[in-house]
Amino acid sequence: MHPSLSFEQAPPISVPYRFFLVAPWFGVLAGLLLAWSGGDVLASRWSPDTLALVHLIAVGFMLQAMSGAMFQFIPVAVGGNVWRSLWVANAIQPLLILGALLLVAGFHFSAPVLLSAAVPALLAGVGIFVGVVLLALWRTPATGMTLWTMRIAVAGLAVTVLLGALLAEALARGLDLPIIELTNVHLAWGLGGWALMLVAAVSYFVVPMFQLTNPYPLWFARWFGPLLLVMLLLWSGLWFRDDLRPAQAFGVPVSLLCVAFASMTLRLQYTRRRKINDATSLNFRVAMIALLVFAISGTAMAIDPTISDDPRAAVWLGMLVFPGVFVSTISGMMYKIIPFLNWLHLQRLGAPISAVPNMKKMIPGDSMTAQFRLHVLAVLLLLAAVWLPSLAEVAGLVFSASCAWLAWNLTLAMRSYRRFRDQIRASVLRC
Amino acid sequence: MTIIIDGRDLQPPEPMERTLEALDRLGADDDILLLLYCQPHPLFNILRNNGYVWTDNLLPEGTREIRIRKPAD
Repeated sequence: MHPSLSFEQAPPISVPYRFFLVAPWFGVLAGLLLAWSGGDVLASRWSPDTLALVHLIAVGFMLQAMSGAMFQFIPVAVGGNVWRSLWVANAIQPLLILGALLLVAGFHFSAPVLLSAAVPALLAGVGIFVGVVLLALWRTPATGMTLWTMRIAVAGLAVTVLLGALLAEALARGLDLPIIELTNVHLAWGLGGWALMLVAAVSYFVVPMFQLTNPYPLWFARWFGPLLLVMLLLWSGLWFRDDLRPAQAFGVPVSLLCVAFASMTLRLQYTRRRKINDATSLNFRVAMIALLVFAISGTAMAIDPTISDDPRAAVWLGMLVFPGVFVSTISGMMYKIIPFLNWLHLQRLGAPISAVPNMKKMIPGDSMTAQFRLHVLAVLLLLAAVWLPSLAEVAGLVFSASCAWLAWNLTLAMRSYRRFRDQIRASVLRC
Repeated sequence: MTIIIDGRDLQPPEPMERTLEALDRLGADDDILLLLYCQPHPLFNILRNNGYVWTDNLLPEGTREIRIRKPAD
């Protein structure tokens, strides 16, 4: 690169890295908890350890990775600047980790005091995060549906965490609240309003960029997020009516929207001009197939509610959506975002282009592909374990191993960054 | 002269690398036409900080035409 060019200060690389490096370890814990608890934990979505498992993935793995990604994604994709990002990251990451661990321990030990203790930590951590991120997303001069969909997603996170805090307090203090209905709404906002919304926002940008597909059609990007938001608002209201049949039936259009997103992403992958089957593309493909199966299963349950009489049906949906859709998507994204992040920050050191190593040298491709294969095996075992509980231990261990491998690959990326940074600094000093 | 960089079939960071290399040989009357499917904000930051001017035009099929010039004296 031209050594005279100057770069605007983006967040220090340690800001997103700290979240990415911690996230997989929550997955490791989730796998170990499943292996330790055994198949009984998969009998119902309401068992304490099932709730602990779900929150290890949702508040541990997903929230860490998605927060870290947003710190870097906002400047790169929508040109925004997160206010005092290093200070904010220093403040919120311990709160999010503490909150997640307290919440999970509260469920696991059925300890109301721990559930109550988790609430202020998570409210403070997420509250600060939502505040600074929304400010950055509002101040940026950029336009486009990635930006608008991200704004909706952050609002979705706020709704999810407020409802979660209410539920945790209700469980801890025995408040007389409609727990089941509130839980359904909390789950719908967490999965749809926050997680899927953010995946869509980020996908509009990174799928064409990293997977070399055509862009998402403008009409699709314009309608998907707002339509999902409207559906979530309507669905939330329906759950509090006396007659639950409309709420159950409303699962059909919501599922169809999931089918639309998954089908569009798979179609873009299928019709791209350069076929690159790296770990990111493969993870995305698995995630979209899992989203399709999730939506088809959800539709079947909405049309014939007797299917949901078997409590394992809800656990099946959970296995599809948490490890199947979101762990796959996030892993795939991290395998591109982190090498790109390394490259971007190495460029800023002012070395010639030839001195900055190719992105492919940041994490060994074979190691990413092998970890992806282990992850797919883990997802298949987890799905099978819902109906064959004897598989739960091995499924948990394989999932745990896959997440540990992901953590190792990300650690290799961090080491690559340090090594190349030191080499570039040494060469600049020699000039 | 217009230097055309079609970044739509290139994996990041290749479009940015090629653009930064093209900036080195950009004459006063030249411009760079960069074709992408996204807004390259990190590149925009570099251009802004170094006094380049650019236009960003979104075509109906999703391609962004980004034209980069040296600032007029």
